[in-house]
Amino acid sequence: MAKSGLKRDQQRFTYLLLLPAILTIIIFTSLPALTTLSYSFFHWTGFQRGSFAGIENFRRLFAFPFRDSLFMAMRHNTLVFIGILIIQTSLGILIAYALYRLKRGQRFFRTVIFLPVIFSLVIVGYMWQAMLDPFYGPINYLLHKVGWDSLALTWLGSTATALPTLVFINLWRWVGFPAIIFLAGLNAINSEYLEAAKIDGASEGQIFRKIMFPLLAPSMTIVTVLTFIGAFEWFDLPYVLGGSSGSPAGATDTLALMFYRLSFGSVDSGANEIGIGAALGVLIFTIVGIGAGFGSKYLRSREVQM
Amino acid sequence: MIKTKSRLRGLMAAVFATAAIVVPITASPANAATEITFWSWRPEDKVFYEAEAAKFLAATGISVKFTPYVATDYNALLSTALIAGKGPDVMQMRAYGGMANLSDAGYFMPLLSKDIPALKKIPAGTLAGAQGYTSKLQYGLPYATSVLGVMYNPDLLKKAGIKALPTTWSSFFTAMDKVKAAGILPLGNGSGYAPGMEQLWGAVGPTFYGGNDFYKNIVAGKKTFEDKNFVASLQAVKDLVAYFPTGHAGLDYNTARGLFANEKAAFYIGGNYEISYFRSLNPALNVGWMPAPAAAAGTPRYVTNWADGGFAINAKTTNKAAAIKFINFLSSKAFMQDAADSLGWISTISGVKVTDPAVVSMVRAIPSSGTPFLTLVGFRYGAPTSSSIMQPGFQKVAAGTQTAAELAAAIQAGVATWYAPLKPKA
Repeated sequence: MAKSGLKRDQQRFTYLLLLPAILTIIIFTSLPALTTLSYSFFHWTGFQRGSFAGIENFRRLFAFPFRDSLFMAMRHNTLVFIGILIIQTSLGILIAYALYRLKRGQRFFRTVIFLPVIFSLVIVGYMWQAMLDPFYGPINYLLHKVGWDSLALTWLGSTATALPTLVFINLWRWVGFPAIIFLAGLNAINSEYLEAAKIDGASEGQIFRKIMFPLLAPSMTIVTVLTFIGAFEWFDLPYVLGGSSGSPAGATDTLALMFYRLSFGSVDSGANEIGIGAALGVLIFTIVGIGAGFGSKYLRSREVQM
Repeated sequence: MIKTKSRLRGLMAAVFATAAIVVPITASPANAATEITFWSWRPEDKVFYEAEAAKFLAATGISVKFTPYVATDYNALLSTALIAGKGPDVMQMRAYGGMANLSDAGYFMPLLSKDIPALKKIPAGTLAGAQGYTSKLQYGLPYATSVLGVMYNPDLLKKAGIKALPTTWSSFFTAMDKVKAAGILPLGNGSGYAPGMEQLWGAVGPTFYGGNDFYKNIVAGKKTFEDKNFVASLQAVKDLVAYFPTGHAGLDYNTARGLFANEKAAFYIGGNYEISYFRSLNPALNVGWMPAPAAAAGTPRYVTNWADGGFAINAKTTNKAAAIKFINFLSSKAFMQDAADSLGWISTISGVKVTDPAVVSMVRAIPSSGTPFLTLVGFRYGAPTSSSIMQPGFQKVAAGTQTAAELAAAIQAGVATWYAPLKPKA
C-alpha cells in the first residue's frame, strides 16, 4: 500500500515536471495549428473572416492561379530534400569517420566543423551574397583570375544556379550537424565488433561498409527525418537571399515562402489571402507529419539492432 | 533552517507589499507623462524621427517612442500586432493595396478633417493612397509623393559626347549606344531585384500603353492587360535589357544603384527615393532627371507618381488625443520641410520648398504629365496582384524564358480571378 502510494507520488512528480513542456507545446504549437486549421475553412477578405467556406480554400490552392506556384514550390522543396540528403549526409558521414579515426586534434576539428551551425543565418546569408556577387564578389574574381571565366556565373541571379547555390550554402552551414550525430553513432559502436573484424582480416574499407555503416542506421534515421522536416519547412535561407517571392523568377520559392506571402502579403507586391495561406499551412503540416512519421517508422524497421 | 524559511517568507512579503504600493503609483496615468508609440519600416530614418520627436515633446509635453522595423518584415509584424489587439498608437501605413486589408478590417482609426485639418489641403487623388478599398474612408495621412523617371549623370553624358537629352525611345537608344561606345555602362539597372523591374516598367511603360486613358479603361474593364499597347510597354523593358550591365541577373538593388552613384553608369531608371541613397554613397554626384522618353515622336511623355505611404492611428489606441496631436504635427509645414530637406520627400502638403534640382524637375513635371503607377495604384487589392505576377515575370522576360505577350496573358489571367471588371465576359 505504502509502495503504491510512493509510486503515485513519483508519477505525480513526473507529470509536474512535464507540465511546462506540455503547456508550451499546447500554447505555441497545438493552438496555432488548430487556429490555422480553422482559418482554412473560412472565407477571408484581407484580415476579416467571412462565412464558412468548407474546402473551398483547398480547392483554390490547387487551382489557377495558385496551382503553378504550389507545384513549383513543392518541386523545389523535394529537390532540396534530395540534394541535402545525398550531399550533406554523405559528407557528414565522411567527416564523422575522419574525426573518429583522428588520433590528435579531434576536439579542435569537431569545433571548427560545427562552428557555422551556430552562426546567425542572416549573417551567413549576407556573407555568401557578398562572396557570390557577380561584380565585386571574391569567388568570381578568383575564377576570372585563374582563367575559368565560364565558371564565373551569376550564382544567385540565374534561375539555373540559384537553388543549387542555396543548397550549397545550406550544406556549408549545416554539414557539422549530421557529422556530429554520425560521430556520436560511431563512438557508440562496440569496439569488440571492430577488433573481431580486424582479427578476421577485414580491411578498413570492409569494416566501414559491413560493420560501421549498418550500425549507423539509428543516426541515419535521425538525420533523414530531420532533413525531411527541415527541407519541407525551408524558409530562412531562401528568404534572406531571394526575398519572399523566391527570386529570381521564383527559382528559390518554397512552400514556406508561399505560405508567408499568402498569409501576410508581400511588401513589394501587396495583398494577402489568409484562407488559402492557412490551407497551405495545413498542407505543409500534413506533408511533414505524414512524411516524418512514416519515414521514421520505415527507417527504424530497417535499423540493425545493436 | 526554520528561522531561514521564516526570514525568506518575511522578505517575500515585504517585496510584494512594496510592489503593491509602488506599482499603482508609477503606473497611474495621472502621474506619468503621456508617451505614444510610433512604428515605421524605415530604420534608416531613426535619427530624423527622433529629432522630430524631441521637437514634438518640447511643444506638447508628449513623448514619442519611435520603433522602426526592417521593411520586409513590417507588414507581418504590424498586422500580427494589430490582430492581437496591440500594436503602436501611430504607425506608417503602406499605400493603396499595401495595407487596405488592415484598413477595411477596422484596425486603423478613420481620420476626419475636423481632427486633421491638413487632409482638406491634399488632392483627392493623393488621399486615395491611404483609404480603404471597400469602405473608402480616410485611414491615413498620405505624407509623400513618389515619382518615377530616368536619372542621368550629366558629366558622363558630356564625356560620351551627348549634347541634348534624348526625348524619344529611338534617341534614347542612340544615346545609350554612344555611352557604351565611350566605355561607360549605359544603364545601372539590373534584373536581380524583381521590384526594381516593375518600377523600371512603371517609368517607361505609360508612353507605350497610353497613360491615363489606358489606366481609366483598364480599371473600368474596357481594356485588358493583353492589349497590344500594354504588351508593347512590357516589350520596352525587354528592349532595355540589352543595355543592362553584364551579369544583370545577379545584380541586387544596392549594387545596381551603386553603379550609378559611383559614376560607372550614365542612366538609372527608378524613383526620386533613390537620390538620397545615391548621395549617401557619393555626396558630390551630379544627378539630372528627365521623364521617360516618348515611344515615338509626338507621343506624350508621362511622369508616373503615387502617394507613397501614410501615417495612421491604431483604432484601439488608448492615447487618441495625443495620437491626433502627433499626426497634426506630422502634417505641419515645418515637419514636412524638415522631411523634404533631410529625406528628400516630395511633400503632399503644398508650400514645402524643394532644393534638389532633380527633385525640382520632378515636381514641375507632375501637373502636366502625371499618371498613376498602374499596377501599384489599381491592382494590389487582391491576390494574385498584378505586381506579384509581373515582378518574377520580368525576370523571366529578361532571361529570355518568357515573352512579353506571355507575361501580359499571365497578368490578365491572374488579376481576372479577383478583379470583376476584368473577368471574361460570359
